[in-house]
Amino acid sequence: MIKTASRRRLIAWLILTGVSLVVYFVRLLPLDLSAGRWPGPDWVVVLGFSWVLRRPEYVPVGLFAALIFLGDMLFMRPPGLWAAITVMGLEFLRRRAQFSRELPFLIEWGMFAGVYGSMVLTNRLIQGVFLVDQPGIGLDALLWLGSVAIYPLVVLASAYVFGVRKAAPGAVDDLGHPI
Amino acid sequence: MRPIRTILVGILVVALLVFFLLWRIDSPRAERMRAALVDRVVPSFSWALVPVTKLADMAGSFQSYAKIYEQNQKLRRDLRQMKAWKEAALQLEQENAKLLDLNRVRLDPKLTYITGVVLADSGSPFRQSVLLNVGARDGILEGWAATDGLGLVGRISGVGQNSSRVILLTDSNSRVPVTIQPSGQRAILSGDNSAKPLLEFIESPDLVRAGDRLVSSGDGGVFPPGLLVGQVVIGPDGRQRARLAADYERLEFLRVLRNHTIGRVTDTGSLLIAPHASQPSPAPAPETAAAANEGGGE
Repeated sequence: MIKTASRRRLIAWLILTGVSLVVYFVRLLPLDLSAGRWPGPDWVVVLGFSWVLRRPEYVPVGLFAALIFLGDMLFMRPPGLWAAITVMGLEFLRRRAQFSRELPFLIEWGMFAGVYGSMVLTNRLIQGVFLVDQPGIGLDALLWLGSVAIYPLVVLASAYVFGVRKAAPGAVDDLGHPI
Repeated sequence: MRPIRTILVGILVVALLVFFLLWRIDSPRAERMRAALVDRVVPSFSWALVPVTKLADMAGSFQSYAKIYEQNQKLRRDLRQMKAWKEAALQLEQENAKLLDLNRVRLDPKLTYITGVVLADSGSPFRQSVLLNVGARDGILEGWAATDGLGLVGRISGVGQNSSRVILLTDSNSRVPVTIQPSGQRAILSGDNSAKPLLEFIESPDLVRAGDRLVSSGDGGVFPPGLLVGQVVIGPDGRQRARLAADYERLEFLRVLRNHTIGRVTDTGSLLIAPHASQPSPAPAPETAAAANEGGGE
């Protein structure tokens, strides 16, 4: 029993890492280099946030920070800033994972939209304070819209492909305590 | 347990923010760390990056079979025009050869190039850059120009051991001095994250027409003069923009032009290049001239 629970957690970490690396790989493919493309949704953050609201132990903060920081470095973002903001968002949601278990999905979706929106705004604000060159706010709005739009899809896919669901009432953790 | 975790997370966030601050304060050093990391990560994926890109391109070409008839007609029209151009080019080439012979011109041997394969994209619509599979190992230096064989594509910014990054002309950080022909006006081509970069600071915009050619002017000593950049077009917003000659939708191989006359920025303290590094004084004694050339070549 103990073994299966911890093994499941390990598999979840591997899936999170694997999916993130595949997403980075696809984004790095030099398929169309003309400028003026739309920013795609932020798959890695959406995946991590939707899991942390279901099974907080599946998204360890160190691993997630490392993945986002790798993204910062690969995609020429100001290194560290977005990773720090993401960690703060992740921990904010982790605190509310207990309480959001009883909430209907629509409210959870709204909570994600709010948290992600404030993350994008904080990112812009800090970059503005430090006088970093920034693209137009329209691109950031599209990023936010895309990420919010795919949230239900990622939740469905994690439930049916990876089996990540909210803990059922009465479920127990490794040591037999109720979650 | 709980407070310890909170403290650890706090330390993590602070560490990340400190790295951001360091990047803001000492950008060259942080960017070198970034180049080193990218240099370790991306080339190790190149066995997969190149075939997957090729496959996706093939799928894209397969779709275009649907339009093959129209394409054929268009190509025939283009070919007829090209034949006329070819005739003109041959005549000019002969004339040029005669003139060169008369002048005993020797082409600059320093303008040779290294060809690299485009490995990866910047992966973000906010930054326009590509990663090449040639780097410091192949003698690439910061600031060299990259072309796709026809038109200017961008400039090297960030060199790792096995890879280097090319900032494209469409990036919002790109500024290139250009000359508009035939009027000879000088302007700055400044990228703004759109497919057609903006022409700024034109001396007298009235003399510039849509369709005029743009070549690099060589001002500032970063790009060699005379590289084809593109054509002037009027954007939908009524401003003068450039349609780039390089085919940005399919960049596969890029030529990096060796240019040993650029003054190099080695650390933040030497951001202001001493004037003699880029422009040797007009008539130095022979020994000093040779020494200056060698010094510039390092």
